Amino acid sequence: MTWTLALPELVLAIAGLVILVAGVLPKQETFFPVSMACIGSLLLAAVLVLGQPEGTALGGHYVADDFSGFMKLLAIGGAAIGILLSLDYNTKEGLGRFEFPLLMLLATIGMMVMISANDLLSLYLGLELLSLPLYVIAAFNRDSARSAEAGLKYFVLGALASGLLLYGSSLVYGFAGTTNFDRLADAFSADSGVTAGVVVGIVFVIAGLAFKVSAVPFHMWTPDVYEGAPTPVTAFFAAAPKVAAIALLARVLVGPFGDLAGQWQQVITLVSLGSMTLGGFAAIGQRNIKRLMAYSSIGHVGYALMGLAVANDVGLRGLLVYMAIYVAMNLGTFAVLIAMRRKGRAVEQVEDLAGLGRTDLGTAVWMAVFMFSMAGIPPLAGFFGKLYVFLAAVQAGFWTLAVVGVLTSVVSAYYYLRIVKVMFFDAPAGALDPAPASLTVVMAASGLFTLFFVLWPAPLLAAAQAAAAALLG
Amino acid sequence: MIAALAFYLFAAILIASAVMVVTARNPVHSVLFLILAFFNAAALFLIAGAEFLAMILVIVYVGAVAVLFLFVVMMLDIDFARLREGFQRYAPIGAIIGGILFLELLLVLSGWSFADQADDLRLSPNPGASVTNAAALGRILYTDYVYLFQLAGLILLVAMIGAIVLTHRERAGTKRQDIAVQVARSGSVVLEEVPVGAGIKALGIRRPPEPEAEPPKVTHDAHHGGHH
Amino acid sequence: MFVGAIFFPLLGACISGFLGRWIGDKAAQWSTVICMVLAAICGSLAFGQVALSGHPVTVEIVTWMDVGGLEFAWALRYDTLAAVMVAMVTFISTLIHLYSVGYMSHDETPSRFFAYLSLFTFMMLMLVTADNLAQLFFGWEGVGLASYLLIGYWYDRESANRAAMKAFIVNRVGDVSFMLGVALTFYVFGSIEFDTIFAAVPQHLEDRFGGIPALELIGVLLFIGACGKSAQLGLHTWLPDAMEGPTPVSALIHAATMVTAGVFLVCRMSPVFEYAPTALAVVTVVGASTALFAATIGCVQNDIKRVIAYSTCSQLGYMFFAAGVGAYQVAMFHLFTHAFFKALLFLGAGSVIHAMSDEQDIRKMGGIWSKIPITYAVMWIGNLALAGIPFFAGYYSKDAILEAAFASHSGVGMYAFLCGMIAAFLTAFYSWRLLILTFHGAPRADHHTMEHVHESPAVMLIPLLLLAVGAVLTGYIFAPLFIGEHEHGFWHGAILNAEHNHILHAMHEVPAWVPLAPTVMGIGGIALAYVFYMLAPGIPGRLATAFRGLYLFLLNKWYFDELYDAIFVRPARRLAMVFWKTGDAQIIDGMPNGAASLAVGVARGAVRIQTGRVANYAFAMIIGLVVFVSLFLIGR
Repeated sequence: MTWTLALPELVLAIAGLVILVAGVLPKQETFFPVSMACIGSLLLAAVLVLGQPEGTALGGHYVADDFSGFMKLLAIGGAAIGILLSLDYNTKEGLGRFEFPLLMLLATIGMMVMISANDLLSLYLGLELLSLPLYVIAAFNRDSARSAEAGLKYFVLGALASGLLLYGSSLVYGFAGTTNFDRLADAFSADSGVTAGVVVGIVFVIAGLAFKVSAVPFHMWTPDVYEGAPTPVTAFFAAAPKVAAIALLARVLVGPFGDLAGQWQQVITLVSLGSMTLGGFAAIGQRNIKRLMAYSSIGHVGYALMGLAVANDVGLRGLLVYMAIYVAMNLGTFAVLIAMRRKGRAVEQVEDLAGLGRTDLGTAVWMAVFMFSMAGIPPLAGFFGKLYVFLAAVQAGFWTLAVVGVLTSVVSAYYYLRIVKVMFFDAPAGALDPAPASLTVVMAASGLFTLFFVLWPAPLLAAAQAAAAALLG
Repeated sequence: MIAALAFYLFAAILIASAVMVVTARNPVHSVLFLILAFFNAAALFLIAGAEFLAMILVIVYVGAVAVLFLFVVMMLDIDFARLREGFQRYAPIGAIIGGILFLELLLVLSGWSFADQADDLRLSPNPGASVTNAAALGRILYTDYVYLFQLAGLILLVAMIGAIVLTHRERAGTKRQDIAVQVARSGSVVLEEVPVGAGIKALGIRRPPEPEAEPPKVTHDAHHGGHH
Repeated sequence: MFVGAIFFPLLGACISGFLGRWIGDKAAQWSTVICMVLAAICGSLAFGQVALSGHPVTVEIVTWMDVGGLEFAWALRYDTLAAVMVAMVTFISTLIHLYSVGYMSHDETPSRFFAYLSLFTFMMLMLVTADNLAQLFFGWEGVGLASYLLIGYWYDRESANRAAMKAFIVNRVGDVSFMLGVALTFYVFGSIEFDTIFAAVPQHLEDRFGGIPALELIGVLLFIGACGKSAQLGLHTWLPDAMEGPTPVSALIHAATMVTAGVFLVCRMSPVFEYAPTALAVVTVVGASTALFAATIGCVQNDIKRVIAYSTCSQLGYMFFAAGVGAYQVAMFHLFTHAFFKALLFLGAGSVIHAMSDEQDIRKMGGIWSKIPITYAVMWIGNLALAGIPFFAGYYSKDAILEAAFASHSGVGMYAFLCGMIAAFLTAFYSWRLLILTFHGAPRADHHTMEHVHESPAVMLIPLLLLAVGAVLTGYIFAPLFIGEHEHGFWHGAILNAEHNHILHAMHEVPAWVPLAPTVMGIGGIALAYVFYMLAPGIPGRLATAFRGLYLFLLNKWYFDELYDAIFVRPARRLAMVFWKTGDAQIIDGMPNGAASLAVGVARGAVRIQTGRVANYAFAMIIGLVVFVSLFLIGR
């Protein structure tokens, strides 16, 4: 039994159980120590991921390679910072309960299972292990109707998406007689071709996963849930789970269904086009900045999927680089959003940022950096994310994608720059409360990454290259 | 022959009752149809030789889940008429979309074929009559599928935590039992001997002494108070 | 030395920007000036080694990206073309830093200003020393950003904000085309490193993209990008508005350096353009039209800085059509001399504005020449150079451009020659109109202002005098190197003239009247201005009434802003109104951008699906699924 290969997941799961017991026992609230313990175990898991050998294990349900390593580190990093971001907010909002970081930790295990999935069954279980904690923390602020509504909506639609995914998996299983990715690949590469049902099954699977990455037309939940959920939860939603779901999508499509690329490429292309367009246009009218970020994340997923649509090593590398940069920018942006409090109350309208350039220059400058970066303005990191996927699309002759991508990035620049304009040129709407240290650290860290990525992108690119190569086999 | 007949019978009832679950006006009827569907599904399992699964389905789904549904539906006063308001408006387009999907699936399934090596690829074929169902399941569940089994356990744990987090909270206007306080009260409870046969006319209504005012919860306030 | 020239400005920017608050404004200012002086020394040394001694080098700093099909490094490519630009940019930028110390002395946040200024210089240097298109694009966007920050430097002025936004947005239009050009280059050549591209050009002569020759398409796309940056006809509208920034900014960015980036790009890509005759014809026509068009507007403007801004636009047109007829060396020469005298004119104008207590309208000046004699003298020198009067810098370069246009013997060449001739006449005319209205005649400012007219401090005058020396001498000294007999040894292959291109040779063999004509035109223009504004000041007014239509047409800059308003802004707005009846004033929010209002419309539509009902969401998902499945089944 080669169970030691799954050491990071095992360690994290055991740590989760220990922390759960340790958090329940004391009389007083253990939010802060539990958070710290969770971050610590995540870091430990990250170290274990770094030292993980390659191979498959646990009855072929689990696979570890460069790709899983890259994506897991990204997901773990996103989750750890997500917990960090919630520390201050939750305490101030009265949500400081120890279950919160613990649920995030369990969700992270789900992500790692997804990323390492080598079987339709472990894929599904990982997805559920990720989703269930997300439903709960979306509704974590039970005193707020919006939060409860967000959780419920996400739950109902998520159940539908899971249903689609399962139905698709059953069609695939019905054809091939197996759910293991390696064996599926064998079955699909046979000369006799595949039945139409398999292709329909793949569409169902894509639909289920597209829901998780909130790609058009399965994005409808995103704005409502992003707006309703507590802001640190939104930050978490926008970063780590998206990485895991994108990773899963890439692994499923490129791995077992790789021989059917011609079939699913059109679907991914359409999804990507739709997401970019919607992300570009729909955010323009938004006044609630969390809602705006929801549409923005839909758009970003569209750009990332462009790399998947190309489905070669350059495209996948673009996808991976894009996700890494996206996570960094997004966490920074949300650090700013979480810091938006006036007189002890959280505020979340775009107008609330007015005049931030004069009242709190540091935060405003970081926010401007993130906005410029998301708009894809060189030399910030966001530009390079776009550059790589565009290059891949152009190289492979996906001109529609590239042109629509460029156009929508110009459109979306409008609303990003509007935020900059509001911050620096509008009359101040009153000073915001000073940001706590945990948030400024996150802002500065991701801000510096965004600013200076241009100087030393080689390590990330090399890692992404290796990961893409591992996926393509 | 008889097996085939039985299969089509149960399958037909299963589909019909599934349709009724969705369309029945009365939610209680819906749940009852759901139970009927479960029974038929169990019957299908039996025909396929999966006795263990059939029994589990009846016990868990019919015995526990469906009955729970029934309780919930009967306890909560849900105005289903209102929920259906939008239904009429979207019914035509919904029917069209559903129809298209149905036709497509029909098309796909009618032309179904299996992969050449599907039989060889099958990981855990039916072991046959030599081993019981439960034993066969156990053999693979705790060996090849142990990873998935443990994952399922984690998911259940999360579900449990989630249920507690979302329901177990302090709300205004709810009262909770605090055993420590009850035990600590023992000193204030007085045993008295009352005269037999006197009745309340002679004795009047005797009330317990007022409980002491609870001390203010300092620790609690530190976490919840004042910041909203 | 090579690295120092580029990175000293960045150092200065960092010191001033990040530490300015601690070390104080004085220290921040002077540290940037010192860094610039060091950079200028390095730049001059580099110029000496690379251009004069003929040792081009490429300094590789660090491997930037090295994965897959895309491989390139951060490298400084020092050939003559780059060395000329580096030397020129560092030198002028140093003088402008120095000048700004005086000019911005009353400002509240000078350290911010100097940080931006140094940052701009760094980005510009990055642009000109780029070794590949990605690095060039980095610099390209960097100068755009710095320009945006500097135009909007006085961000409490509404007009400055608008101008900054306008500059940024108009430039983005060009940038989209530039990006497409880069993408197409990569598609065709499989690389974006200059060496690889240039070496591979002969193999790709026959390549076609969508039926169009690929090289032509690349040329046109890159040129549209250059148009945005260099304010050529169509995308020029931002440049006059950009004069909202502080005057040193106008001098550095919008006269001497950034706006010439487009010309530099065309010259840098000369090996590609040489094999794209149609693209070159487009460059020539657009350049020549801009030269004439901007000159006509310059004749009636009343804001001292706008007049000079339109003259910049016009001179950039000259450079483009020089490049368009294949005389890249001549274009670079004019770029070089123009940097000196145009910076001089702007700084001189700044000195005037400074003296007149921030008055910019030349109708409210006059009669101040005796009070600020040095400024007056340097403005004369600048204008003489601009008008192309013999033996001043502009004479050598402008003459050469017109000779080259004439010598090209093509239809577009003759068109450019004609436009250039008329523009030369108009240039001289508006230059002297400016000079006379500003300095001569009866004072038209109020008593209070006149009392305060004073010469600027030494820290502002020294740069003026140095630039004046440049405006007088650069033409004479550098003409033999840039375009004369030493041309071949000087450029050392940095610019490619194809086999069929003999323009540099032919331009010396034109009929004798051609070299004389520009001078005659220039003197004619001066004479006309003298008659109009000194001898008979009533004539212009009567002309303006007589040809009222023409006058208004010019005064309103050929109605370009109104045209764009009518073509892009209004229909989009009307469309939005038809679709959504209610006005979107809140969201448009004064953005003078038509595309935005259209986008807002689409946004509304997209958001309307978002009803908030779970059932609808689920329904949308199912519809999407059905659409995909259907596509599949149909597509099979």
